[in-house]
This record gives sequence, structure tokens and C-alpha cells, in this order.
Amino acid sequence: MSQCAINVESRKKSLHYFFEKVVEPLGFKFTPDEELMNFLLEQEVILEGRHGIPFCPCQPIRKDRARDMHIVCPCIPFHRKHFDDIKRCWCGLFVHKDVLDTDNLPQLPSKEVNNG
Amino acid sequence: MGKKFIKAISAGEIAPGGMKAMELNGNEIVICNNGGKYYAIQRRCGHMNAPLDMGTLDGKYLTCPMHCAQFDITNGEALSGSVPLDIGHEIPPPFLSKYLQNIEMLMKHIHTESIITYETQIEAGWVQIRL
Repeated sequence: MSQCAINVESRKKSLHYFFEKVVEPLGFKFTPDEELMNFLLEQEVILEGRHGIPFCPCQPIRKDRARDMHIVCPCIPFHRKHFDDIKRCWCGLFVHKDVLDTDNLPQLPSKEVNNG
Repeated sequence: MGKKFIKAISAGEIAPGGMKAMELNGNEIVICNNGGKYYAIQRRCGHMNAPLDMGTLDGKYLTCPMHCAQFDITNGEALSGSVPLDIGHEIPPPFLSKYLQNIEMLMKHIHTESIITYETQIEAGWVQIRL
């Protein structure tokens, strides 16, 4: 991966633009918690700068490409069943469109969800 | 010598979301139509000189066809570097593996620079670029 002295704020805006196009048809939106959204996007910009790919900030990178591709943000299509049950993605960057209050979402481990 | 506006293409020649490469006064330029507004940028990618008109334009964001570096066409800002090479799950033969390692080692030292943008205006049905 090559180096690039990027402006974090500009990259956050462009990631927001591209991610929105992916998650919107899947029934998700960005979390209404703007502070969390900004923090998570910033972490993804840092991960992209380090690895060349904006991985999910809350998942370990295992250096196993097939597995790691399943945690490239937005990873909703790979973990749809689990995210639908908890109405958010693991890190909370995306929530179901009907979610207004992110504090009261259910916490379910993936093993309790089929195909989670 | 001062810069002046030069006729490039007729307004409407590029559909919204489209791009066109051309050479003007020795400069390789790509003209982009973002929702009816025209932007002109240098044709060569700030990473490894690939022709950006062969990439994809989505809104104001242009993705290079070669290593997927992204740029903002409104100001030329580099938004990301290259995406790592994927050779799939198949283990390449030793000679190819060695070659890919060399490429990876060389590419680690390549920075992605922002690209040059040119001022545009529409006058008398022409998109003009300041050069």
C-alpha cells in the first residue's frame, strides 16, 4: 500500500458519501450519535492509512484476507442476520433506519443468532 | 506569460457524471461534469500516472482505475492511497511470488500526491479552461 498524506476530515466526508450509498438500500443509516459517528469514521481513516482498506474499527485484523474482507466497512451484507437482530452493526456506525435512540438497543451475542 | 481561458469543449458535450480527456497547450487534462458543473483536472493520477479519465466519477469523487486512489475533483485533493493488491487464494508460482514481492516493496515508497485542478468557465456555449 502506498502512503498518502490525507486530510482526515476530507476523507471522512468521502467515506460518508460512499458508505451512505451502500447502507441506505440495506435499510440502515448512520448512527444519530454524531460524536460516535465522527470518532468511528476517524478510526477507519486511520486504519485505511495503515492497511489501505477501511476496516471495521472494532474487529481484529487477522491477516487472513478471506476473513478480513468480511470486516471491511460497511460489513452489513456479511453479518446481516446479527445486525438485523441488534438493529445496528457491531461498532454502531450504522443502525436500522427506524432507530432514534441508540442507548436502548438489544445486546445479543452472535451465537444466539442463526447465521450471525 | 499570463494565463487565459481557452475553449475546450462545447457545453453539453459531456453528460453529467461523465469525463473527457484532452490535450490543451501541452497539458493532459480531464474535464468532468459533476451535476452540470464542469471541473478540469490533470489527467495523470497522483499515485502512478494512470489516466484518470478511465476511472470512475461518483459525485465529486474520482477513483483511479489502476490502484483505486481517490481524488476530489473540486480541489484535486488526494483522499486515499492505493488499495492493496489481491491475488486471490491461489498460491502463485515462485517466480511470480518473487515478482509481486518486489512490486509491493517498490510501491511502499510511492506517495499519492494531490492532482492539479484548472479553473473553468462557460462562455458562449463553450467550456473554457484557464491555462
